[in-house]
Amino acid sequence: MSNNQRTKMGYLFLIPTLIVFLVFIAYPVCSTIYLSFCNYRTQTITQGATFTGLSNYIKMFQDQEMWTSLVFTLKFTVVSVILETILGMLCAIIMNRKFKGNGFVCAMILIPWCIPTIVSGLMWSYIFAESFGVVNYLLSVANIIQDPIKWLSDGNWAFVSVIYADVWKTVPYMSLLLLSALKTVSNDYLEAASLDGAGKARRFFSIVLPNIRPVMMVAIMFRTIQSFRIYDLIRVMTNGGPQGSTKSLTMYAMEQYFTYGNMGYGAALAVLTFVISLIIAAFFQEGVKNKLEV
Amino acid sequence: MERKHLNRKVSKIGMIIFSVVFVLLIILPFVWLALAAFKNMRELYASPVQILPSSLSLDNFIEAFTVQPMAQYILNSVIVSLVSTVLIIVIGCMASFSLARTKIKGKRLILLLLLTITLLPPITLLNPIYLMMSKMGLLNTRIGLALVLVAIELPSAVWYLMTFFQTIPDTIEESAMIDGATIPQTFVKILLPVVRPGIFTISIMTFINTWNNYIFPLVLNPTKDARVVTVALTMYSGDTYTPWNLIAAAAIVASIPLIIMVLAIQKRIISGMMDGAVKG
Repeated sequence: MSNNQRTKMGYLFLIPTLIVFLVFIAYPVCSTIYLSFCNYRTQTITQGATFTGLSNYIKMFQDQEMWTSLVFTLKFTVVSVILETILGMLCAIIMNRKFKGNGFVCAMILIPWCIPTIVSGLMWSYIFAESFGVVNYLLSVANIIQDPIKWLSDGNWAFVSVIYADVWKTVPYMSLLLLSALKTVSNDYLEAASLDGAGKARRFFSIVLPNIRPVMMVAIMFRTIQSFRIYDLIRVMTNGGPQGSTKSLTMYAMEQYFTYGNMGYGAALAVLTFVISLIIAAFFQEGVKNKLEV
Repeated sequence: MERKHLNRKVSKIGMIIFSVVFVLLIILPFVWLALAAFKNMRELYASPVQILPSSLSLDNFIEAFTVQPMAQYILNSVIVSLVSTVLIIVIGCMASFSLARTKIKGKRLILLLLLTITLLPPITLLNPIYLMMSKMGLLNTRIGLALVLVAIELPSAVWYLMTFFQTIPDTIEESAMIDGATIPQTFVKILLPVVRPGIFTISIMTFINTWNNYIFPLVLNPTKDARVVTVALTMYSGDTYTPWNLIAAAAIVASIPLIIMVLAIQKRIISGMMDGAVKG
């Protein structure tokens, strides 16, 4: 009887959450999917949306600008996640050892994590500024460069700058997550392996890595998906430039929505972003399954 | 033996070097921005670069708060983040209780739903939410933005809160039930106090996430009376000229409260994050 009542309570307690999701998630997602098959413009909003089938998608796959932004977004995602995983792992391994100041390092890590991405983007724009930026100044004092590098206004360098800013913001957090994974590896295994004569690298690759794989996969999955939706950072650092070379899919969709008022085409781009996120998640199925066990 | 001793010493020095370099890489950029907040125009663009400002004058802060009504924007951010954090914690605790401590059906489905929502790119929601808010007259209102951010941040809050609710031993709840308490009573009077430290940590993390959000307030609250800090920060630069000293001053003001909050309870945030990563 009490158990039955308890289950009833369980359903009741979920209602607010479900209402929130229904109104602010389910409805908008369905609406976006529907509008992606429509012609719907801000300029003619009173006429409403007219169903046009796949025309937005056909247009999208022929749209050079979409391909440029998709390629940038994918490139950015792959490079940033790989760098952040490797650097995060290195830091985690080192932080996993006991040493003086360990706690201090952990605390400092929280600073890039907690400040707004907008602030970190502005900060790096100031540091990477071409004429008065401190990076160019240091490089020229060290005689590494003669002419200032166009960190934000040259396509390739802009990519480097944006990646650097993203790495600064997320490596610390990543290393914290990976550190939590490393802490779960029992020392006994490692000692036994070390007695058997396994070297450091060997121990890492054949004992530590397989053990932390599930947790690591989840961390990488979330990072990959967050990376893929990049907007804030490029909005303040390059605003998509130069010549659209750092424009992400989200930024391109934003432009279609709110600059050109092309809500149907913007929706198609938004759906594309969502579908690719799902594909990314599917790659990490193993990690997802792990998350769902309660 | 001698060699092992030497190795240990080298590794100890290596550790110190690593920590110093790592910490410097993390905080120097931010320190550089903080220094800019005290520099005047001449010092800002000086060549060769002038590292330290000549005085610790607060002129830039005063100017940053007068060219834009920054105090108003900060108040807006505080209200939006507070309202959404409180709502998220109330709704989230109920959901986490239900998911972690009752035998409801379809639990896996709801977890899958939560996960899918955290994976959802905001751009997929943005335009319909904008149209919806505009129909309901909630554009450019703090409450409207707060409600939207509840939906955005709720899934990950539930995810973290669940791990706290799972750790409560059943016996605590059972003894309360024997004493005749109803389920809502046990929830409020017994369970919530037990998970209070966890709730506090998640509140801080949620507050920070809502404070830092940019894309939703950019679209939903563009007008002056409802604008929030992150959006305002991007509005100092004009077409031809960027007042870096004012931006730096405002950016520091927008970040310092977060840094203080986080450092004040850093141990709990770190363990909260790490538990969430391993258990969740």
